[in-house]
Amino acid sequence: MSVEGTSESVSTGRTPIIRFDHASFGFPGLIALQEISLSIYDGEFVGVIGPNGSGKTTLCRAVLGLLPPVEGHLHIFDCACSELRCHHRAQIGYLPQKGVVDRNFPVTVLETVMMGRYGALGLLKRPGKKDRQIAMDALAQVDMESHKDTALGHLSGGQQQRVFIARALAQQPKVLILDEPTTGLDITMQHNVIELVQHLHDELKLTVLLITHDINMIRLKVDRLVLLKTRLYAAGPPTDVLKPEILHQVYGKELVITEKDLVIVEDYHHHH
Amino acid sequence: MLDLLAYDFIQRSLLAAAMVGGLCSVIGVFVVLRGLAFVGAGTSHAAFAGVALGYLMGWPPLLLAILFGLATVWITGWVEERGRMKLDVSIGILYTTTMALGILFIGLMKTYNAEVYGYLFGSVLSVTPEELRIIGALSVLVLSLLLLFAKELYFIAFDQEMAEASGVPARQMFFLLLTLVALTVVVSLKTVGAILVFAMILIPASTAYQLTHSLTTLTLYSAFFGITTSVSGVLISAIWDIPSGPAIVLLATVIFFTAVLFSPKRVRRTGAAHSH
Repeated sequence: MSVEGTSESVSTGRTPIIRFDHASFGFPGLIALQEISLSIYDGEFVGVIGPNGSGKTTLCRAVLGLLPPVEGHLHIFDCACSELRCHHRAQIGYLPQKGVVDRNFPVTVLETVMMGRYGALGLLKRPGKKDRQIAMDALAQVDMESHKDTALGHLSGGQQQRVFIARALAQQPKVLILDEPTTGLDITMQHNVIELVQHLHDELKLTVLLITHDINMIRLKVDRLVLLKTRLYAAGPPTDVLKPEILHQVYGKELVITEKDLVIVEDYHHHH
Repeated sequence: MLDLLAYDFIQRSLLAAAMVGGLCSVIGVFVVLRGLAFVGAGTSHAAFAGVALGYLMGWPPLLLAILFGLATVWITGWVEERGRMKLDVSIGILYTTTMALGILFIGLMKTYNAEVYGYLFGSVLSVTPEELRIIGALSVLVLSLLLLFAKELYFIAFDQEMAEASGVPARQMFFLLLTLVALTVVVSLKTVGAILVFAMILIPASTAYQLTHSLTTLTLYSAFFGITTSVSGVLISAIWDIPSGPAIVLLATVIFFTAVLFSPKRVRRTGAAHSH
């Protein structure tokens, strides 16, 4: 696809870990994502942006193997989406959107993180010392090991987010998918979570797919931005994607880019 | 009271109550956490319709109860998966339909059948040795399956999509849970009755929910409350000659409200409100 051209050439020579090939998702008559062609490479940090209802979460569920394409192909780890087995899924860590999970569920921090081991362990096997160690290491990665026996519901929003990231890390994943991880957090917490994700990407060489509304927060961190609005509007380095003509197509004319390359709404710009 | 314990039928009913109480309260943890409370109620009425049909046609009532129970939970699960209808709506329809069928089957019987009413209201004191064996066998089956798949079942109760995404066969586990709920309901039918079995599944787990934030502790507390209230309920029922089902459930309810009053969660919440 033409929109994909630039990004493909940038990453030539590397093997894609996730490959969309003219893939559409949704139900007949209600297509959430149409004709997506996109490759995500090992070790990339990709930001997924787009307006509400643009199909960001659909893309995320597709990559998790939860939603086979209705048309076209999606390959994850060289497997067709429908053939994705449990051990493949265990290699993808996932932080769902806030509000999906009951955060007052009676569960401690360590119990939550241990759930990350269950898929990889398989049925009928009980988690042992090694799994506990992996879970504790994951908690250490997000700096939450001192809270291991705390009830999940007693933590702040930012701390809970860290615990859920640790749960994903306990899978020892190759890919980490985060669906709007900063929603509902205060501005310093938002910054902390993004810093943590970048640190994990650098340290653990994880392929990261970060879905967010906050373009400014991630534009300096990610290798590539993917801009969605039912279709794939652009994919490439942030400087290539964050251009007025592209943003106007997706978000409307009000969006402007300031001298410092911040993306803001024009009204706001005039008042300040 | 000690004289009572010498009777065979009292020993049998205490054993049946302990098993049913333990079984219901342990599966109740998963039912409450997965938000399937209403499914328990729907299933028990469906199972009762099965019993009524069994007596009407002269077929084995427990077998039909199992068939009706399984059909109900599987349809419910299928509807939820499709996302066509809200779970409470589909269960509400199945619940009332099967109840109507039950009443119809009873109405078609030529004679009054006291045994059928036993399944509706529960009569633990009349448990026969054969029924006790069936309860025992099904309890062992359900509890061992729960134990074997405990980690997966906890995970889908917490978040089914997250479980599926991280490589747990979540859909299969969901249907396993539904199947076990149906079997539990059928096992408990004779003891606490179709109307009250729902309470046996719901109340001990909800009581435990008030008192702890840990999954393991929650399950242990729930089993403890389930077994003690069932056994005490049977004793109360035998000593004061009141129906066993209501004795068990009302005792469990008293303990539930006591737990709500003294819940550390409640104390913490008011404490937090003061500090702000």
